[in-house]
Amino acid sequence: MATGTAALRAKANRSARPIAWWYAALVLVMAWGLAAWIDELRVGLAATGMRDIVSWGLYILTFAFFIGLSAGGLIMASSAEVFGIKALKPLSRLGVLSAAACVCVAGLMIIPDLGKPFRILNIFIHPNWSSPLVWDVLIISVYFVFSLVDLFVLQRRARGTSKWRATARVLAYIGLPAAILLHSVTAWIFGLQISRAWWNTSLMAPLFVVSAILSGVALVTLLALIAERWGRFSLPPETRRWLRGFIIVSMLIDLFMVGADYITMLWGNQPAARAELNLVLPNGPWSWLFWCEWIVGGAVPLALLLVPRLKRLPGSLGVAAVLALVGVYAFRIELVVVGFVNPLIQYPPGNAIGTYNASTSSFEFVGRYSPTWVEYGIVLGLSALFATIVTVGYRWLRLGKSSSGDPSGHDDTLPTLLADKGASFVGGRDQWP
Amino acid sequence: MASKRKQKRQVGQTAPTRRYAMVIDTNRCVGCWTCAVACKEVNNEPLGYWWNRVLTTAPNQAWSSQSPAAAPPASGNIDVPYGTYPNLQLAYLPVACQQCNDAPCVKVCPVQATFRRDDGMVLIDYDRCIGCRYCMAACPYGVRIFNWGGGEYAPGGIVGYGEDYYVDGHLVFTPVRPKGVVEKCTFCVERVGVGEKPFCVESCPLGARVFGDLNDPDSEVSELVNDGGAERLLSELGTEPNVYYLPVARRVPAES
Repeated sequence: MATGTAALRAKANRSARPIAWWYAALVLVMAWGLAAWIDELRVGLAATGMRDIVSWGLYILTFAFFIGLSAGGLIMASSAEVFGIKALKPLSRLGVLSAAACVCVAGLMIIPDLGKPFRILNIFIHPNWSSPLVWDVLIISVYFVFSLVDLFVLQRRARGTSKWRATARVLAYIGLPAAILLHSVTAWIFGLQISRAWWNTSLMAPLFVVSAILSGVALVTLLALIAERWGRFSLPPETRRWLRGFIIVSMLIDLFMVGADYITMLWGNQPAARAELNLVLPNGPWSWLFWCEWIVGGAVPLALLLVPRLKRLPGSLGVAAVLALVGVYAFRIELVVVGFVNPLIQYPPGNAIGTYNASTSSFEFVGRYSPTWVEYGIVLGLSALFATIVTVGYRWLRLGKSSSGDPSGHDDTLPTLLADKGASFVGGRDQWP
Repeated sequence: MASKRKQKRQVGQTAPTRRYAMVIDTNRCVGCWTCAVACKEVNNEPLGYWWNRVLTTAPNQAWSSQSPAAAPPASGNIDVPYGTYPNLQLAYLPVACQQCNDAPCVKVCPVQATFRRDDGMVLIDYDRCIGCRYCMAACPYGVRIFNWGGGEYAPGGIVGYGEDYYVDGHLVFTPVRPKGVVEKCTFCVERVGVGEKPFCVESCPLGARVFGDLNDPDSEVSELVNDGGAERLLSELGTEPNVYYLPVARRVPAES
């Protein structure tokens, strides 16, 4: 174990330079995003690929994706308390940190989507209570504050202040329903709309909740694996088993719900719904989403997690987590963009799209959408902001040092779980990275 | 009129005792697009923006999203008949904002920028809209237009008509189209407010459009809606539009 300590020290010193490069890269991407946003403010939303048929695009679907990502961490941290799953405790603070970062980025993601971003306070000045968007903005704000408070409390508890234990427990009981509410309200932005056959299903809220758990757990898994690889975070085998189980179960339920929705639309054969479904089914123009969701983000990760020979491969959990994220992102694209592609009323000349091009028509029958570099820039910039918050938070909260053990003594199984790694932590200066 | 136009800003009143409605007789419509171009002029819509469109359809299509619509001609061009020779069909369906009583756009607008006046008009406060475009996602009729980049105009084109028009403190008509907000047909609120008819009604060369007060049982729109068999678009969605259509009454040849 002495050699292990030396190796860790060496590793820590080695990684001091990469962190600088990592920050530099993040700042660069964020600067690109900011420049893209300034350009968009100057030109207007004409700088994006959205037009009057597909009038929501990359911003809104990434917003919905990040809202989903924020679930996993908080649900895992809360489940650890509420259901007494001790193996998930090492991930509590990392999970809540990622939840706070995700919900912050999701909230910011709405701003570049607005035609008049400087009027955003109108949501608070003149709220329309029948709009799911108002409720969503409210719950996002509450959820953000809540996750910060939860993080603070968990940090105190981890530092050994036992009086915070009861508070952490109460917060866990609030956090679980709050997370479910957040995803339901976000789902209802879409699910309540009678004008979109693709969205208007009561399955939308449960589907959002379960895909949120899937993507959120996958993200926390990935973060933990990264922290284990480059930091000093440790992911005990028992915790891995729980993560694997969470991903498998939520993925199966997710695919079940999506499949049930497909079957209902196929059986009913109503023109508006079928027109949408045909776009994503094999041979449709958007069928790549179908394959991304069912094969890349469904069958392959399930095989990696379930087939005995595959699940013993060293990277299987990480690869499965990445593929699960790809699958959920494909689902978000499918939801938002495909929902817009077919307007209910389609007769020649179609809908005016809101741009004039002398060589082609100003009208389109079926909507088209491909994001511009401005959109990619802003989305990548905000994703870099997420990575920055998580990196800074990880180091500032010293998650690499003590997240493994809960010094409150609240958790007595962990020290044994961590026995193989625990020794090398003792006396180690927390200098990661 | 002239004296009113000289003011920098006009202020209109809601007429709560009225319920404005429009009836479009699809028997009379010949698809000339005069109403659409007139709308473009009076509202200073930029190139590529159409608040009002005249769709080429088979007779009596689009009343319902549940009934399969006739497949449009492959070209997707206007004025191309439906069906195969010699069984060809052609009718026109002018579509602008349907001014719904239970408007999905009003329900979803997070800032109450889109609102419904007691007289049935669904309007947008251009000074309040944040440009989130949720209303466009909610509208089943696809009649809402977003101003993506301010818009361009034909050289020497129209530069704006009329004055800013306010209703209850809301800017609901403006001659210069603001960038970054949603816009749509306003039932020509600024013209109706001074006793004129919407410009599409005024300009239709065939008198296919009738505008009036549904609360007045003797008005022409009341007669057409109550006794004339007028229908609404996508009525099964429960949006209750105040724009009605008289279906094509001529004999439609059977599909062969």
